[in-house]
Amino acid sequence: MKVALLSESPADEAALRVLVTAVLGHPPHFVTSGLRARGWPNVAQVLPAVIRHLHFNTDTDVLGVVVDADDSVVHTSNHDAPGYFHPNCRMCQLRAVFRQTTKRLPAAHGRNRVLRGVGIAVPAIEAWYLCGRDPQVSEAAWIDGQERGQPPYTRPELKLRVYGTDRPSLPHEIGCALREVARLRTDPRRLENDFPGFAALARDLRHIHTAPGPIPAQPGTAAGVSDPHS
Amino acid sequence: MIASVAFRNFRALRATSVALGPFNIVIGPNGSGKTSLIEVLLRLGELARHATAGAPPVPAADAPASARHHRDAAPEIGFVLASQPGVVVRMIRGADRRRDHVVLDPPDGHLWSEIQPLLADTRGYVLDHAAMARTAPRRGGMHLNSDGGNLAAVLAGMRQRSPASFSALTAEMLRITPEFHSLELAEHADGRVEFGLRLADDGLVPAAEMSQGMLYLLAMLALAFDPNPPRLLCIEDVDRGIHPRMLREVRDALYRLSHPQASGLRRAPVQVIATTHSPYFLDLFREHPEEVILSQKQGRAARFERLSDRPDLPELLREGSLGDMWYSGILGGVPDDA
Repeated sequence: MKVALLSESPADEAALRVLVTAVLGHPPHFVTSGLRARGWPNVAQVLPAVIRHLHFNTDTDVLGVVVDADDSVVHTSNHDAPGYFHPNCRMCQLRAVFRQTTKRLPAAHGRNRVLRGVGIAVPAIEAWYLCGRDPQVSEAAWIDGQERGQPPYTRPELKLRVYGTDRPSLPHEIGCALREVARLRTDPRRLENDFPGFAALARDLRHIHTAPGPIPAQPGTAAGVSDPHS
Repeated sequence: MIASVAFRNFRALRATSVALGPFNIVIGPNGSGKTSLIEVLLRLGELARHATAGAPPVPAADAPASARHHRDAAPEIGFVLASQPGVVVRMIRGADRRRDHVVLDPPDGHLWSEIQPLLADTRGYVLDHAAMARTAPRRGGMHLNSDGGNLAAVLAGMRQRSPASFSALTAEMLRITPEFHSLELAEHADGRVEFGLRLADDGLVPAAEMSQGMLYLLAMLALAFDPNPPRLLCIEDVDRGIHPRMLREVRDALYRLSHPQASGLRRAPVQVIATTHSPYFLDLFREHPEEVILSQKQGRAARFERLSDRPDLPELLREGSLGDMWYSGILGGVPDDA
């Protein structure tokens, strides 16, 4: 399988390569390195162009995209209901961009489309790194905090816990990220359990891996669902 | 550390003040006072090296109106140090309209001699790639000149006096630019030194043939890995010549100076004042908006504002990146349309 990644930093990309490999059970061929976006909403802005570039100019099978949720609405199973689209949920938005962009593309390089792998790190990828290390950190804890109006931690606090400073250098950030994902890769199911935003990415990747070809319709994500981006 | 600077009648800075932290990135349109801020900090450093603090010549009460007018219209800049919050170091233009004077308010000769060396330990940079690419006399390499013109000598001096710092600088440069294999220095018979970067395939790129970005990056690392950095470092246009994706490395190099503990270093922090016109560089301060100073131009006057003082900043950051918000004009700090 040929995988491209669109991420927000070299540290994120380094960690995602390990996590994608762990989910697939073997290292895929990472066809393009260094596709980068400048955070949200830039990811959603450049995503159509990135998809078209990969579709027409490369033989990439799947594009993995992971963004931080920040303070946005967290994707829940309710959002997967048929016809549902939450305009403030980044998962819903990125899936919609994939649908809208790929549905009009002609076949190229022997495949119909570049397939989708979307993950949302709630509230930031540092929370994933703390999975299994800090039981207080999980997507459920964040949602619970959002509902109570009292977030259990802030993004700077998560960075401090992972990097030991809120101003890590890039090599230090990459080093810490790789150290944590090296721990997580032995059992990515724990990460999937605590962070459904990662589980969604893992599901996308496993589905592509086991059944190459376009992903069949999922509730609320099928092509033609009446959301504002279709 | 200088905690704040207040301006009166200084060029476009008619009546404004700015609080400073360990790291400060100043953004704003041309002519909005960014360079003026740096100039007065460097001027204070100069005065601290040479001048004694005292009372400026004040026109007598029966002096001509023109002299009294001059006193009222004369530029005055007040500096407050974090360590001496109750004292203002005033820089006042004298009646001859050419010389500046330093006055401590309240007067304290003992304190002045105490803070003089701290204020004097200041360096300012407007790096020039053409100057940096030239060979330099081996002897002039203690500190980087304001245009970076003695970069070769500084590297040679660092290699000799502080091999560990030179090794760390080299390792960092090669990490950032993996196409290179080593940083090399050569001393000529005339006592001048030059540097070059050897490519992984063994070809040598001498400084004169290096890209501007490489030279700026190397100079930035020479500052960041200086074993004897100043207490205050000002640098203009930090993004100059650097690819947007490399700007993170520039920010990290400057953080190494201002927040040494974050890099595992045990030395006093260097207060950094830097300017930029790059929205991409600004994007890197989303987590630390308190480090961003906006200089706002209103007609012929300008004033400073801390980005973190904006109450609507969290909402704005949900809508887009800091750089995009700045470019859009929502944050201010943009030129007037023609």
